[in-house]
Amino acid sequence: MARISLWLPSLVLAVITATQVQISYAQENLSSPPKSLPSVQTLLKKMSQDAAHINYRGSFTYQNQTSIELQSFRVEHWVENGVEHDRFLFLNGPERVIVRDGQPVDCKAMGDELLQGRISLIGKALVDMDDLYQFEIRGQERIAGRLARMLQVIPKDPYRYGYFLSIDEDTGLVLKSWLIDENAHPLERYQFISLDLNPDINQLKAQVLSHQHKAVADVTPCNPKELTKPSGWQVAWIPQGFVFAGQRNLSSGQTMLMYTDGLTTFSIFIEATNAFVPEGVGRRGATLAYMSRLLVKDVVHRISVVGEIPVAAAAKIAQNITGQ
Amino acid sequence: MSEQNRPQTLAESISALMDNQAAELELQRILKATEQDADVKAIWSRYQIAGAVLRGDKTPVLSPSVMSDFSARLSAAIDAEETFTEPTINVEKSKTQQGWFYQLGRVALVASVAGGMVLGVNQFNSTSPDISQIASNVVTAPAPVESTVSLPSGINSPLINTRNVALQTGYETRPQENRRVMFQPLQATTVVSDEEVSRYVNQMIKAHSDNAAMNSGQGVLPYARVIITDEE
Repeated sequence: MARISLWLPSLVLAVITATQVQISYAQENLSSPPKSLPSVQTLLKKMSQDAAHINYRGSFTYQNQTSIELQSFRVEHWVENGVEHDRFLFLNGPERVIVRDGQPVDCKAMGDELLQGRISLIGKALVDMDDLYQFEIRGQERIAGRLARMLQVIPKDPYRYGYFLSIDEDTGLVLKSWLIDENAHPLERYQFISLDLNPDINQLKAQVLSHQHKAVADVTPCNPKELTKPSGWQVAWIPQGFVFAGQRNLSSGQTMLMYTDGLTTFSIFIEATNAFVPEGVGRRGATLAYMSRLLVKDVVHRISVVGEIPVAAAAKIAQNITGQ
Repeated sequence: MSEQNRPQTLAESISALMDNQAAELELQRILKATEQDADVKAIWSRYQIAGAVLRGDKTPVLSPSVMSDFSARLSAAIDAEETFTEPTINVEKSKTQQGWFYQLGRVALVASVAGGMVLGVNQFNSTSPDISQIASNVVTAPAPVESTVSLPSGINSPLINTRNVALQTGYETRPQENRRVMFQPLQATTVVSDEEVSRYVNQMIKAHSDNAAMNSGQGVLPYARVIITDEE
């Protein structure tokens, strides 16, 4: 009995010591990462820039919070004469393909400019990505047979979500992406299962694709040199770090205002209407639509804020929109 | 509530908070109590350490200096939160937020990784009456949602057994399940056609995906959110 009473505290002590050693080891690791680790900036730049320049054909799966269903897609991407071509094939359900042609390979959208930290060139009042998110490199993992670097992205305010990104070390392709909400629940996840970096371009071009849907290339301007504002509408509040990326008039009659902080995007849709405007929050998957009505010069307008953002952000943005 | 009961009830609340099950009100109550009551503060600290050890956390969360002011910083950050209304917030504030967001995020992310992706399953079951009906007709009824939420190895939970999955295979022929938008009207009395809202929101998600595919650094992946119907 006496032996046990001596033995037990020493065991506890040993455990505590071991834990402390582990902690100090972890702290050391945090303060001085090994030289071989790429910097966060390098990784983000690679992600937003390099992947546009390569040819590939890959398949990935997708799942979101509102549907248990696992969906699969194939993406094909090639560059010819300095122009990008994308094919986005829906492999589940009815045959469909989104076709996007004609984006110049050297086109940097506003989101890329922000991710690559080039905003200092174009904006003065802008913040650094590090003020919006905490970035941490979390080691390596193997996805679709390739080595990827894991990047954990934690938002620093309640107006955007977090990410778990696994970025191909060679190509910069995002091989795995989880969107994480404020309660740390995954809202959606993508993951590649195969990737061919040397596809036969002629074969890709020769494919006959039915049910094609054209996507607009350069939906926001390339290589923006300055910050602009929407025309006709004023958005008095947007979360810190988001910038106006472009404006479109849709065939549906809606005016669309596009915003990005580099990783997260939202779009505002505005249209005049005589019909009843349902007000409330619509959700599908990770995307939310905050819908409200706004009276501008006695005309009822239907206002919707759509994006992968928390409802608090969407509601506040919507409440701060005014006509000019 | 008697004075003796209080710490016990709070202890349960703290436990719930650590499992991400606490409501907003409970959180406020815990924070208030930790300010006034050293016992409660001690419970909070103890549970944090226990949780970190259980998870095998190698993070410096156990360091006593971090622990002692963690709850203080959490309160401060939440107080600061209410004044967070201007787009031009100062750097000071975002630095304090970084602290607790980081810690919370870290704890929660570990938990979520452990918990796997059950969320989708739970949400699905709670929003789709079809599945619960199917489930109640088969031999094994699903476990109550309440208990599955805290299951650590959620991905293996018996919520969907092979039989359920087999019954669901009609799915591919019912793409409308997939395109349904969950709508919460601002006023409960509003009567809105689900179909109309779904169509409207899906059309906007499609247009928004052009923005996302251009400006979120992840290439064309956001197009996976698009629902294309042949009526277009």
